[in-house]
Amino acid sequence: MVRNDKELEAVILVRAVRLNAIIAGLVTGLMAGFALFVATNWLVLKGGAVVGPHLLLLNQFFLGYRVTFRGSLIGFAWAFCLGFAAGFAIVRIYNALVGLRPSGTAGPT
Amino acid sequence: MRVSDPNGHGARVIVIGAGPAGLTAARELARQGLSPVVLEQSGIVGGLARTETYRGFHFDMGGHRFFTKVEEVEKIWHDVLGEELRRRPRLSRIYYRGRFFKYPLKPLDALAGLGVREAARVMLSYVWWQIFPHEREDTFEEWVTNRFGQRLFEVFFKSYTEKVWGIPCSTLRAEWAAQRIKDLSLRSAIVSMFLKPQTTIKTLIEEFDYPRFGPGMMWRSVAEEIRKVGGSVRLSSEVIAIRGAGRRIEGVVISTDGHEELVTGDHFLSSMPVSVLVQRLSPPPPPQVLEAALRLIYRDFLTVCLIVDAAVLFPDNWIYVHSPEVKVGRVQNFKNWSPDMVPDPGKTSLGLEYFCNEGDALWCMPDAELIRLGTEELERIGLTRGAAVLDGCVFRVPKAYPVYDAHYRESLATIRAFVDDFENLQTIGRNGLHRYDNQDHAMVTGLLAVRNLTLGERHDLWNVNTDPEYHEVVGVEGRESEALAAMEGRLAEIFPRVDGVALGIGAGAVSGALLSLATLILVLKGTALIGPYFNLFGQFLPGYSVTVRGSALGLAYGFTGGFVAGWGFAVLRNVSLFLSFAVLRRRAQLGLLKRLFEFI
Repeated sequence: MVRNDKELEAVILVRAVRLNAIIAGLVTGLMAGFALFVATNWLVLKGGAVVGPHLLLLNQFFLGYRVTFRGSLIGFAWAFCLGFAAGFAIVRIYNALVGLRPSGTAGPT
Repeated sequence: MRVSDPNGHGARVIVIGAGPAGLTAARELARQGLSPVVLEQSGIVGGLARTETYRGFHFDMGGHRFFTKVEEVEKIWHDVLGEELRRRPRLSRIYYRGRFFKYPLKPLDALAGLGVREAARVMLSYVWWQIFPHEREDTFEEWVTNRFGQRLFEVFFKSYTEKVWGIPCSTLRAEWAAQRIKDLSLRSAIVSMFLKPQTTIKTLIEEFDYPRFGPGMMWRSVAEEIRKVGGSVRLSSEVIAIRGAGRRIEGVVISTDGHEELVTGDHFLSSMPVSVLVQRLSPPPPPQVLEAALRLIYRDFLTVCLIVDAAVLFPDNWIYVHSPEVKVGRVQNFKNWSPDMVPDPGKTSLGLEYFCNEGDALWCMPDAELIRLGTEELERIGLTRGAAVLDGCVFRVPKAYPVYDAHYRESLATIRAFVDDFENLQTIGRNGLHRYDNQDHAMVTGLLAVRNLTLGERHDLWNVNTDPEYHEVVGVEGRESEALAAMEGRLAEIFPRVDGVALGIGAGAVSGALLSLATLILVLKGTALIGPYFNLFGQFLPGYSVTVRGSALGLAYGFTGGFVAGWGFAVLRNVSLFLSFAVLRRRAQLGLLKRLFEFI
């Protein structure tokens, strides 16, 4: 609990914040999923003789992904999972390292 | 203090002093069916909040705005005055070196007023004292300098404060300011980030409530109420002795027109200066208590009231006169407080407040000379605009301000220990408690004393208004406090820095793992389709290819890139947080400066 300005300053300038891994995972997952969803549908709407040949290469990693509306939903799911895993892992590693520091930490946000 | 008759039924209660504290207490006693006896030394009720009258003009001794965050006090004001309590606009300025500065201070106006050179000195001094502050903040000078710099202190605070208190700022205790100015302003400013703009810190700077005929109107009405229900308010009755027996007060001796009379009672509430109270005790208190009483000092003031032949002189309710070249400290324009303070709309009544000590040259100066001095000084600072001063009078207000000097705390503790030992005596009000309280807090001490008496409650009257929150921060303050309380735990979670190295390692590890894993997948699946594209990474990552060796290199490159990105993000986030923090601090200090000006 912060009781006065000096204590607040000490908290802000000395202590390191702990992050919430699930929230970080959700944020990065949603951002990645949404980005792929929009990118895919953008190409679908643009149309053309060959739709999104380069983006289609993602199906080498994301099974079932296509540059179609249905593919965008599958891509959203894959990208969300990957983003979630990445964000979650980054924050878990970060929190573990911060916990080792002598200056201490503030609670998770 | 112990109360022998907690219910106080049928008890005879003597209230010494007909100021806000005494009359509020007496009113409350009367409402509870008791018949208090109020003894007032002067011939007028209101005490330090009285309104004097001269030829139909009303003069408020000191200028008393009616604002409070104590709901009970607010209710009393409205119950007593009803429609006679009017909402009034407020304007005040500072006069310094021939210029008027808007209040609240406007940066451009202040800079223009000070001039470029002086403004630069103020800024440099501010920076200097922010970096090298006083280690201790015992005195008012140290308190202000640490917050605003030495130069601003000298320009805007030193001369006026020393005029008011008559002692150097280097000996005036910091509590004087800290008692009523909320200093936990950084947290408030942070909270204000999360509240809607209309609910951020706001003071009653723009308007206030005021009785049509000044605060005396309030206290005359209260005295009338008390009399109507059987109580009595005896004017021109000075308490010249207080008779004690053991740990009880038995009665007080009053002097009315030269006649002495013993007034006995069961309970005594005293708002007379506590130092005078102990000196008039019989039998006398121990020598150390008397010595402590003599060490408590007060500041007095006199008001030179001038009637000027002009309908309008200036728009301010009052003007602070900081300039040391004139003796006047503050000029009140009573017509701007309430138009009814003046019987003739073609005239203006001004009150020039001179802070002095009882018995000094200014205090003893004949009224005619004081009126002449006031008239000259008014012309010198350009407020009369050539209009003629038609008439004038002088009112002297002794013991207007309890002084917080280097010895007061120790002396007051000695006196308090002695006074609290009486079973049937409570001291109330500004001078009864030697606290620089406003009218509303004085009233609160009166109310709480009655509760102690009649309900057996145990309120510590000496600690009313010791919370270092200035009560002008009103309205939203409750909400702000609630928000602050709710957020305190979260503040510590939101604002600390992000550890750049830790985030760099986390982001690096994940990036490296992803690039390495993706490369290995392609190696295992074959590189016919995507391999050529992945190989393009080799343009930026020397040596990288879609091979097992390339996946190992990808791990290293991914880690490095991720580390830089994570570390950079943390640095940017921390820098932006620090800048926000600095802005908040400046904003908070500006708010504090405004409140400090308001306070003096």
